[in-house]
Amino acid sequence: MANKRRKMYLRMVTSSLIRRASRLIIAVLAIAIGATILSGLVTIYYDIPRQLGREFRSYGANLLLLPKGDARISRDDLTRVREVLGADRIVGLAPYRYQTVKINEQPYIIAGTDLPEAKKNSPFWYVEGDWGSAAKPDHVMVGREIANTLDLHIGDTFKVLGVRWGQAAEASGQNLSAEENRGRDEGDQNFSRRFTVCGIVTTGGAEEGFIFADIDMLDELVGDSFRGDVVECSVVAGAEEMDKMTAELENRLPGIQPRAVRRLTQSQDIVLGKLQALVLLVTVVVLIITMISVSTTMMAMVAERKREIALKKALGAENRFVIGELLGEGVLLGIIGSGAGVFLGFEFATRVSLNVFGRAINFPWLIVPVTIVVFVVITVLASILPVRKVMDIHPAIVLRGE
Amino acid sequence: MFWRMITRTLVRQKSKMLMIAFTVVLGVSLSTAMMNVMLGVGDKVNRELKVYGSNITVRHKEAALMNDLYGLSTGLGVTDKFLFEEDVLKIKSIFWGFNIIDFAPLLDGRATVNGEEIPVIGTWMEKHAALSTGEEVNTGLKALRNWWHGTLKGEWLGAADDGFVMIGAPLAERLGLKVGDSVTLTHEIAQKTVVVKGIYDDGGAADGQIIGTLKMAQELMNLPGKVSKIEVSAITTPDNDLARKAAQDPRSLSPDEYETWYCTAYASAICHQLQEVVRDGVARPVRQVAESEGTILNKTTLLMILITILSSIGSALAISNLITASVIERSQELGLLKALGAHNWQIALLVLVEVMLTSLVGGAFGYALGIGFAQIIGQTVFGSYIEIAQMVIVIIAVILFFVTLLGSIPAIRYLMNLKPTEVLHGK
Repeated sequence: MANKRRKMYLRMVTSSLIRRASRLIIAVLAIAIGATILSGLVTIYYDIPRQLGREFRSYGANLLLLPKGDARISRDDLTRVREVLGADRIVGLAPYRYQTVKINEQPYIIAGTDLPEAKKNSPFWYVEGDWGSAAKPDHVMVGREIANTLDLHIGDTFKVLGVRWGQAAEASGQNLSAEENRGRDEGDQNFSRRFTVCGIVTTGGAEEGFIFADIDMLDELVGDSFRGDVVECSVVAGAEEMDKMTAELENRLPGIQPRAVRRLTQSQDIVLGKLQALVLLVTVVVLIITMISVSTTMMAMVAERKREIALKKALGAENRFVIGELLGEGVLLGIIGSGAGVFLGFEFATRVSLNVFGRAINFPWLIVPVTIVVFVVITVLASILPVRKVMDIHPAIVLRGE
Repeated sequence: MFWRMITRTLVRQKSKMLMIAFTVVLGVSLSTAMMNVMLGVGDKVNRELKVYGSNITVRHKEAALMNDLYGLSTGLGVTDKFLFEEDVLKIKSIFWGFNIIDFAPLLDGRATVNGEEIPVIGTWMEKHAALSTGEEVNTGLKALRNWWHGTLKGEWLGAADDGFVMIGAPLAERLGLKVGDSVTLTHEIAQKTVVVKGIYDDGGAADGQIIGTLKMAQELMNLPGKVSKIEVSAITTPDNDLARKAAQDPRSLSPDEYETWYCTAYASAICHQLQEVVRDGVARPVRQVAESEGTILNKTTLLMILITILSSIGSALAISNLITASVIERSQELGLLKALGAHNWQIALLVLVEVMLTSLVGGAFGYALGIGFAQIIGQTVFGSYIEIAQMVIVIIAVILFFVTLLGSIPAIRYLMNLKPTEVLHGK
């Protein structure tokens, strides 16, 4: 008996869905739209801090590592820094070595660095020509100021002179001949090398007064092993995380003084906070409105079934049974609609992320059951509310169409 | 007869028509709010990004940029060329003066404290000035150093605090200075005793500097009326190809291009105009700030556009969906009309006019509600009103018209194929 009833129930639910195919499509479509918006927007909202946090790295290095006292930063230190910060957080990590050199007897500073890392650190640099690389160590970039002062263009060559590491420069003597003074400049304690300009750097800042070269080449030229005067890091982190990181760096690397660039970390927190609040508020408004409009569509759909329900009642169906049928339909519609919606929402979030940020999105899988449950509840409520009144009236009145 | 039928339906079918109107209200309010927010978001976010400090600096054209990068070394290219203090306020008078949020002149100098040579900066920390145009401006370095706010000990320098200075935290520690202590600055023969009013934490070069008022620094250096550079914070449009071409050489533009460029708030156009008012000045965008602003701005706007499109499509579908549902629901009544000899086009017209009238009413309410939502978002997130774009009305009206039409089409097609007898029979 119970088995028979269940069969009948299933048949009524499915056949009522199949018979009204066009209405069914409308209902599923309404739920699917709602579910797409819900899952898509919530996914974007959750991923915004990570995605936008990366975008804020276009402001450049937000963590500086300075050596304490006379110590210098070694290559081992760099590997350990990478470990502490975590590889996935580091956008760029570039050691810098500054060396004073002479060009046309005028002092200039040459900055040796890991050029590809420096490029990741400072996406705002405008480089006319090409970035230098370790593969072509004789090709260097010069700052706009230097290029203007020395009238250098891309492809030009210039010669730098400098003092080797650990050697003292001999000053030119007043009463020595020009020949002898030249000797002092070109002696063993000095180095000299010709460079080709491959790029001109414009930043609007102090970088325009430097020459940028590969750090290994500079080490070799100066004649000692790797020495970092400062390390610039671009790390994806808010102000709080940054404080934790600097504290840990200080603990693990006693020779290094980490300094967060407060201007960037603080400001990022302010702006990112606002943007997140914006997306949150927009999401909430969109969701509320979508929910309401999905439920009104569902209500309109069900309202037309008053007659059918009354007929069933007239044939002797109990209220419990009628509600049970509506419930079953609601659950089925909710699952089908929101299932399709979640899939579309995921598609949408991925597209947005790829278009806006150029990166894949992290899909929070929890959103799948949440969306389905939310929409099943909405559908069921929207199906039962409009017919609740019908339950209590005499079937004949409804059937007569009043 | 036609109008009477329409009014009768609208009155009799109140609840159903109300439901359509309600969905239209929701959909239209959502689209209105999102479009207004989307159009206003660029400006708002741009203002928020001002916390990063100035995006343009003006220096003397012969002054070298070759100063120290991190405040670690000193020496190269110390300048003896200066700008004039009297030119500073003229900045507000340029074509894009309204876009200039903040600016402050700075005078770099050095002074000896306890036998140690320390950089001393003179500036306007807070300045209230009346312009020749009768306008009044409030400006100063305070707004360009937002990141000092969090950890500042003591107070900011006021406009007339010539006897006070602010000092970087690491330097204060080294010199053993606290808020309220006095310190003597010596430069050649000039000497000034000032009181420490605030101690800030910069995390950059300013950590090793002492900052006083412009007047104090000018007297100390004996450079009356001179400033070394001006920091300017302006709302700019992200660079495009035209702006980059102009930045290379404005003279390479055609007259039309030049006009477009000059009248758009590109960083390079604002720089060009600043150079016209500041004597011997060279204005340069600080690419770190200007370029990154563009990146963030473009991404945020694009994100908002996509969310707007999604929610607009969503509400359009929801509206047309509901219209289809509610027209199909009335098949019995319309079947009766057909049975009574009404032509298909008459029924279609009847349905369309009804739905359009309902949408119109719903749309009007929805628009008002949407403006409200936009302002709630503006107030909560940015603390200011979002400007209402007139064109949103037109866009929404056009979209709503087509959405209503499209929503009615499946229903009307369904009505055309209706067999009156079947409908009336109740199948």
